[in-house]
This record gives sequence, C-alpha cells and structure tokens, in this order.
Amino acid sequence: MLLSIIRVIKFSFQDVVRNIWLSLVTIIILVLALFTVNMLLVVKVVGNAAVGAVEEKIDINLFLSPDSKEDQIESLKTKIGSLSEVKEVKYISKDEALQQFKKKHEENTDILQALKELGKNPLASTLVITPKNLSDFDDLANQLYVIEDEIIESRNFSNYKIMIDKIEAITNKVSEAAIFLAIVFIFITILVIYNSVKVAIYTHRKEIAIMRLVGASNWFIQTPYLISSMIYTLVGIILIMIIFLPFLNLLQPYLETFFVNYNVNLINYFYGNAIGIFGIQFVIATLINMLASLLAVRRYSRV
Amino acid sequence: MIKYIDVVKSYGKSSPALKGINLHIRPGEFVSIVGQSGSGKTTLVKTLIGEEKIDSGQIIVGGWDITNIGQREIPVLRRQMGVIFQDFKLLPKKTLYENVAFAMQVCGGKYKKTKTIVPHVMKIVGLESKMHRYPQEISGGEQQRVAIARALVHRPKILLADEPTGNLDSINTSEIIDLLLRINKFGTTVILVTHNREVVNRLKKRVIVIDSGTIISDKEEGKYIL
Repeated sequence: MLLSIIRVIKFSFQDVVRNIWLSLVTIIILVLALFTVNMLLVVKVVGNAAVGAVEEKIDINLFLSPDSKEDQIESLKTKIGSLSEVKEVKYISKDEALQQFKKKHEENTDILQALKELGKNPLASTLVITPKNLSDFDDLANQLYVIEDEIIESRNFSNYKIMIDKIEAITNKVSEAAIFLAIVFIFITILVIYNSVKVAIYTHRKEIAIMRLVGASNWFIQTPYLISSMIYTLVGIILIMIIFLPFLNLLQPYLETFFVNYNVNLINYFYGNAIGIFGIQFVIATLINMLASLLAVRRYSRV
Repeated sequence: MIKYIDVVKSYGKSSPALKGINLHIRPGEFVSIVGQSGSGKTTLVKTLIGEEKIDSGQIIVGGWDITNIGQREIPVLRRQMGVIFQDFKLLPKKTLYENVAFAMQVCGGKYKKTKTIVPHVMKIVGLESKMHRYPQEISGGEQQRVAIARALVHRPKILLADEPTGNLDSINTSEIIDLLLRINKFGTTVILVTHNREVVNRLKKRVIVIDSGTIISDKEEGKYIL
C-alpha cells in the first residue's frame, strides 16, 4: 500500500511537470483568487478598526449649571447610572474640564491667551455618559432627553452612530465587491482546475488505457490527478504567503497615517494568525480543487 | 474455465451484437474465435474483460460469475487475464523493460518482484537482450512479443489475444502464434480472436465461428469456414 501511495505521488508530480505551462496558469489563477480572499480579510480588519476607533469616542455629555450642588449632581449621576443602557457615568468638574481643555490646546497660544483674558473658567461641569452598546445609543439619547433636572444646562448628543453606520456601509460595500470578485475567481479556479485535469488525462490517455487493461485499480488511476490539484493548491498558498505579506508591508504605512493614535497593524494581525488564516484557506481551496478534479476524473478517466 | 450462457448484448436499438451465445472453454484449451468484421468477435472480447455489460444471460470465468461485475472488481478480473491487441499498446517513452514493469507497478507490484519477473517474461518471449531498447527501435513482431510479456507478468490463467497478428507480416505472425502455442503448453488457456484464415487452419485447434452475433460452428481441430 505504501509503495502504491509513493507511486501515486510520483505520478502526480510527473503530471504537474509534464504539463508545466498548464500547471503555471492554474497556479496563477489560484493565487489571484487567494489574493482577493485575503484582500477581503484586510477590508474586514481595517473596517473593524475604523468602527472601533469611532466607538471609543462615543459618549454623551450633559452640561451642568455652575450653581449645581454636590448632592444634586450625585443624585443625577445615580439616576442616570441606573439606566440599563448606561455603561459608565463620569463626572468632570469645571476645574477638571479646564485642565483637559488647556492640555488639549496647549500648542494653540491664541486659545490659551483668550482664556487668560477672559479671567474666569467659562467651562461647565459635565456628566460624561458612555452607552453599553452602540445600538443603545438612540434609546439612551431619548431617555436622557426626557430627564428633567434643573441642574442640566444643556445636552450634547452628537450622533456618532451615523458616522459608524457610514463606515460600516462603506466597509460592507467594499466587502461585497471583494466577495463578488472572490466568487468570480473561485469559479474561474474551479473551471481551470477542471480543464487542467481534463488535459492531463488526455495527455495520459494511452497510459490510462494500459493501466485499465492490466488491472490497475480506479484508485490508482484517479488519485494522481487529485493529488496534482492538491499540489497546485499548496504551491498557490505558499506563493500567496510570499506575495501577500510584503504587500502588507507596503500597505501598513498608509494605514498608520490614516489611523493616527490607533493600533491598526495588519502585519501583526496576519503574522499572528498566519497558521489559522492560510491554513483555513489551504483546507478550503484543497477541498474545492479536489472536488473539481474529482468531477473531471470521474468524467474523463474512463479511457 | 469460461462459460457463456445465453448471452445477449445489443447497442441501442440496433440488431444485437451477440444473440444468445452459449460457450464453454475448458482450462488449458487453445481456442480460435473467428468471424468477419462486425460479426460480434470484439463484443465477445469486451464482455469477457468486463468492458461491456450484457443485456441478459450469464458469464462465468474461473467459477466467478462476472455477469454483473462491479467497477471495483474489474481490475481483479483483468489481473487474472492477460490481454493483447493488434496495436500493441506500448508506451513509446518507456523502454521495453519499463513497459512490462509498468503493468506490475500500477498494480502495486514490489520493486524486487518486478526485477525478478520482468526479465523472466522477457526471456519467455525471447527479448531479454533488447530489454533496454524503446518500442520504436524494434520490429512490429517484437513489439507484439513485448505486449505478450506484459500480459504474462500477472501469471494469468487466460491469455486473450484480439487480432494479435493484424499488423504483422507472415514471418512475424508465425513467430507470435508459435509463442502463443508455447504459452498454452505451460497450461495457460489461450483465446485467439482473428480473421486470419491461414493461421487458424495451420493451428489444428478448436475453432469457434461467429457470424452476425451467433455461433455457427464450434469444432475441435476446426477450420476457418467462412
């Protein structure tokens, strides 16, 4: 049995080498398909990073009147904190708000000068409310609108949800396009593999006829073509790893410029998950390619 | 050894190629099956090697009912039966040794066994000195002898020769027939399918004549009567 397996593998390699140009075309198409699939993954990672970056900024500010008393503020904080949609309520006093404002604009001398000329702290103390989930944002905003308390001076409900929806919409559109491209390439790969096996069988038709004549089993006749498709897939995966990781190195600086202060590292992501990402791609691509080969072998190896 | 019982085989709606064939070939016999083109000889061969399924009747080979033989069992049947054809079916890029060894390798034959058996069968067919030549470097008769050597590597009980001399001149034809007779003397049942009148008449062995899918004559020491 072991001897037969060794011979089957030997015949598979012979088949790949004898039809070298066909093998190359098959592998190139396979690499293109895998490239699109990996680009889809990049879009997903970048999209998630963008959404995460915006989500981090999501909070709702209730500006309190300067005459607010400690117990009134504490009571309002407890009341809001008890809402099921609220993750956290943070009180920022006037002084803290001023400190933060100054820190934020420490390089802008005009603003700092204006503040100095004003002579007093113009900022209000604030309750910063963070929702549990992004989807709770609308409900929470509606509930905060109806809370009546004399110490609430104004409310800032900047709707980050719209921004996130936009990012998600763009990500989804790009993903859809990538999925479409991936499907097209996968379909082409199936056709190419199917035809490669068909041509390989045609090339070996005399050998197959003799094999059948002398009593070679179907397993022995058909398996080399299935292994050939596995060889194509393995070479394709190795090539995509060689091509895609340097490609990410080129992409990374642009992402870092775009996502300043946010950790979006595609290289780390792909290196960290390389076995999972490329392993799954190898398994799925092998299954698809072997299925295409099996169909061709079943159909054309009856010489 | 081989039994055909009321075997009918047709292709589509046309007239059957085999119309109720009854046949019994005993172990160790040398039988010539003769008939004109389209008489059903080739169909008979195809049904015997499991290449064609029959419509009705029964085929038994060495006690094994192969009437409804499955795809997985066909290789087992073919290893018990050596088959040679008019066109030799040799691989041009392999040496004679490799061509014969190929038959063993694709059936899982071990390297050592191949190394012992291949020279042995090449000696039987008288080509041990040309083992490392390529098919195009030897004559048609020699090519057919290589095909016979290949058919012998599995030590078959039956050797089926379908028009083995169709492409050969009279000298080579004579050599091949002598070789088949020698193999028959070792105990192998030989079935020779041919329409070569001279060969059949010279053999003085059993002759089965087929015409339009029917056996019209079956005689020991028979002659080509068509």
